[in-house]
Amino acid sequence: MYTLGIDIGSTTSKCVILEDGSKIIAKSLVQAGTGTDGPERAYNEILDASKLKKEDIAHIVATGYGRAIYTSANADMSELSCHAKGVHFLFPDVRTIIDIGGQDAKVIRLNQQGIIDSFLMNDKCAAGTGRFLDVMANILQISINELEVYASKADNPVKISSTCTVFAESEVISQLAKGVTIENVVAGICESVASRVAALAKRNRVEEKVYMSGGVAQNAGVRNALAKELGTEILFSEYSQYMGALGAAIAAYEKWRKETGGKDHE
Amino acid sequence: MSEEVKAAPKKEVDPNSAKARLGKIIEDHYNNLWVAKEKGEKIGWCASNFPQEIWQTLGLTVCYPENQAAAIAARGAGAKCCETAEANGYSNDICAYARISLAYTELKDVPEQNMPQPDYMLCCNNICNQMIKWYENIAKKLNIPMIMIDIPFNPDYKVSKEQISYVKGQFLDAIKQLEEITGKKWSDERFKEVMEISNRTSRAWLKATSYCKYEPSPLNGFDLLNHMAVAVCARGTVEAAEAFEKLAEEYEESVKEGKSTFRAEEKYRIMFEGIACWPHLRFTATELKSRGMNMVATIYADAFGFIYDDFDGLIEAYCSVPNSINLEKSRDKRVQIVKNNGAKGLLVHTNRSCKLWSGFMYEMSRQIGEVCDIPVTSFDGDQADPRNFSEAQYATRVQGLMEVMEARKGGK
Amino acid sequence: MATVQQLLEKFHEVASSPQKQKEYYLKEGKKVVACVPIYTPEEIIHSMGMIPMGTWGADVEVKEAKRYFPAFICSIMQSVLELGINGKYKGVSAIVIPYLCDSLMGLGENWKMAVPDIPFIPMQYPQNRKPEYGIEFTKQAYLRVIRDLENITGAKFSEDNLKKSCDIYNAHNKAMREISSILANHPEISAVNRKDIFKSAYFMEKEEHTRLVNELIALLKAQPKQDNNKIKIVTSGILADSENLLKIIDDNNMQIVADDVAHESRQYRVDVPVDGAPLDNLAKKFSAMDHCSVLYDVDKKRADYIVNLAKQYNAKGVIVILTKFCDPEEYDYPILKGAFDKANLPSTLIEVDRQMVNYEQAKTNIQTFREVLEY
Repeated sequence: MYTLGIDIGSTTSKCVILEDGSKIIAKSLVQAGTGTDGPERAYNEILDASKLKKEDIAHIVATGYGRAIYTSANADMSELSCHAKGVHFLFPDVRTIIDIGGQDAKVIRLNQQGIIDSFLMNDKCAAGTGRFLDVMANILQISINELEVYASKADNPVKISSTCTVFAESEVISQLAKGVTIENVVAGICESVASRVAALAKRNRVEEKVYMSGGVAQNAGVRNALAKELGTEILFSEYSQYMGALGAAIAAYEKWRKETGGKDHE
Repeated sequence: MSEEVKAAPKKEVDPNSAKARLGKIIEDHYNNLWVAKEKGEKIGWCASNFPQEIWQTLGLTVCYPENQAAAIAARGAGAKCCETAEANGYSNDICAYARISLAYTELKDVPEQNMPQPDYMLCCNNICNQMIKWYENIAKKLNIPMIMIDIPFNPDYKVSKEQISYVKGQFLDAIKQLEEITGKKWSDERFKEVMEISNRTSRAWLKATSYCKYEPSPLNGFDLLNHMAVAVCARGTVEAAEAFEKLAEEYEESVKEGKSTFRAEEKYRIMFEGIACWPHLRFTATELKSRGMNMVATIYADAFGFIYDDFDGLIEAYCSVPNSINLEKSRDKRVQIVKNNGAKGLLVHTNRSCKLWSGFMYEMSRQIGEVCDIPVTSFDGDQADPRNFSEAQYATRVQGLMEVMEARKGGK
Repeated sequence: MATVQQLLEKFHEVASSPQKQKEYYLKEGKKVVACVPIYTPEEIIHSMGMIPMGTWGADVEVKEAKRYFPAFICSIMQSVLELGINGKYKGVSAIVIPYLCDSLMGLGENWKMAVPDIPFIPMQYPQNRKPEYGIEFTKQAYLRVIRDLENITGAKFSEDNLKKSCDIYNAHNKAMREISSILANHPEISAVNRKDIFKSAYFMEKEEHTRLVNELIALLKAQPKQDNNKIKIVTSGILADSENLLKIIDDNNMQIVADDVAHESRQYRVDVPVDGAPLDNLAKKFSAMDHCSVLYDVDKKRADYIVNLAKQYNAKGVIVILTKFCDPEEYDYPILKGAFDKANLPSTLIEVDRQMVNYEQAKTNIQTFREVLEY
């Protein structure tokens, strides 16, 4: 039997299909999030890719910012629980998960059974979130995906220390005005996000191993800076962005088993 | 324009100069702490405006977390300490001095400014109520006694007799508690002596700071920020009195000789309002100096000048420190300073750490500007968290203030 | 006699229309005095024949108040000042502002300039409130409030009337404690309903509120015991009156079985002693108060108090609702968290303010907390 998890974020929609709660058979990602046709497209894409039909899916769980308004799901679950499930499924040794999302940064600590011991989300300031990176990329007129490329070429990253987004913006502009290279500014921005998120992680006590999920995990600039700040290796994988959807698919399987008592449907 | 640096031979500091003496007092202050700690004496952590006459009379050894936090921030370790406190669950909205201090009870070694851990806390909230929470948390964490002298913010212009009798009751209680904690004995005779010395120091401090009124001023107003540490921690000592007297003498001479520690032409005289932005002290000072703007007026002069005749007077003085008085009285004091010292502009530090000071500063500075007919500008900053400050904003605001001051000069 | 539903509707109506309540009392020829958080001597105002009305601000956009407050002052103060400047308190005879935190001092000092037509009466509470000299200082501060009220409104103070008012307030305290306790057995009463019961207390004459609450208590007591499959939680913080937030708690099948919220139960824990001179007794009431972030307590008994509250009501977790920029609460939080962890009591932290438009993070937070508690 098949279950589907759909993670509807603020800027992307991701789907994962699981077979019998144990095998990933397909995944999809669309660069459009809640309030767009992104979720529907991601859903259709994954059906195409897996060659499955709607009726083949026994249970759907939605997660992410758009989880509550997605009507095709049987249930919804918070992205924190889903990331925890997803990461524990693929990397059972992980005890700390860091997820820098578009709107929120989250730090989750797991116990050995993969159950959330404690979790923390960023305060009301946006300086440690994906949104901050968006704003900064916008100022620099580069795409968010290019940040990593620029950061890797930095030889002397500047220090962007302001905790306030508006101040950080002015710091970035004044660094550029001073003639600092864009590479060094970008690296400084990545380090600034890392430092904010590291502070959050420390508040929640960091236990190894540490895994980074979410879209920003692909950004080596932030990831490496975070590893340095926390003094520990940070794991990530090609599945980092899909962890929410994967966890939702696992949750869908668990819910289906609970409801049907494990009997196969039909 | 870069300043020309002449390779002048480094002058030996005259050990008799006020600067050397004041420096030595601070040095001795920290050294003595360690000696006392080693001897097994109990060390108190003390709020800057706690009536120092109490511990001085009892002969206790105390140190000042506010001085320490300022020193740590000025030497560049503010962010590190703040982050430590935040990692322990403290919001970055709370006072950065408090965050640094709370972090220090955990880090225990911050080379930028070390001091012994406390055996008791001496709290007085005449500068703000966050002080209470900060000291409560340390006392709770370290399981040590806390002596609390509550001096409520006074909504009225005059100190009421009810408030004086309330604070007096606490003052006497504090003595009793401290006798029990430390085993030391109170002496009325010594108290009288300490009051005399403290008055002498305060008078000397007020006199020295009053030299700002000369045009040009014989001192860079930022010097006072350094000297202040002595006014905080050694007010009841003869050494401090003598050092400030010497400072006043030196200023007197400088006025005669036309010299100044403000190493630029004094083109504009301003009042700087608020606690210094310690992590960016050099930047904030240089931006002013490079434009010929000297800080000739600050409330800090008043903040540590405690002049009184008797016990009641002492209590009243502690009930009248700058942060415990209402808007009207705060305004009038500043208006007086601006007028006495001939400040022609007001630069206000909107200090994120200090909700009390910043909470009615917009209105007060508007009123000062109106009454004194001087331009006012403010900038966002923080007394100890380097992350709440923008160089670009500061530079723009300072330049703006200067330009308005210049235009007004032309118009008059 | 009204039904439970009718009573809840009445509480809701009053809680959501302070303006209307104010107009109603003014029309009746009564004088209204605004009372700013956290504590004010309402008994005194009541005893002088006036209506004390709680003034905890509102969820409004702050515009005018920005002339007075920098952004980092808490939104309760900001919105109280905003409403004052915008004339929302028009007709109120005076405003009593207790100087219990630094931001309240800013509010009082700014008020004089920003809202000159509503006289400001400061209430200077002592922090060393337990020794004799502290009790005496509280009493003197009350006398000052009385003097100001007499001068401003012409109303007269008498100890006899104060005695009657203290009894009325004690009866109200008792009713509020009882309803909070009874609601723990009534999962059908939502968090939003519960808030209305507490919030309406600020906008009604206490006698009337007590009567309605006691009616509700009687009706609930008469009901058969209900099955309760909700997740029991305790809330803690300064203010938790946001319907958007409380709905999230309701939507997640959670039930507030007790609270340590300043706007709610913290008001009702301590009664005025009965024997002796009324004004002295009122000062003694303040001296007996504890377990609150704005009342000096080096032992931080508040932390264990909340843990015990959770135990007493079999709560599975605590939701700390932190009003952004409220420093007294921000200082207490790490100590509370430490006590919760030590007691193996799960907790979560939600930052709120009066300008909140986006509740997505709160939603995710509470849903995750529920998932953690359900596991």
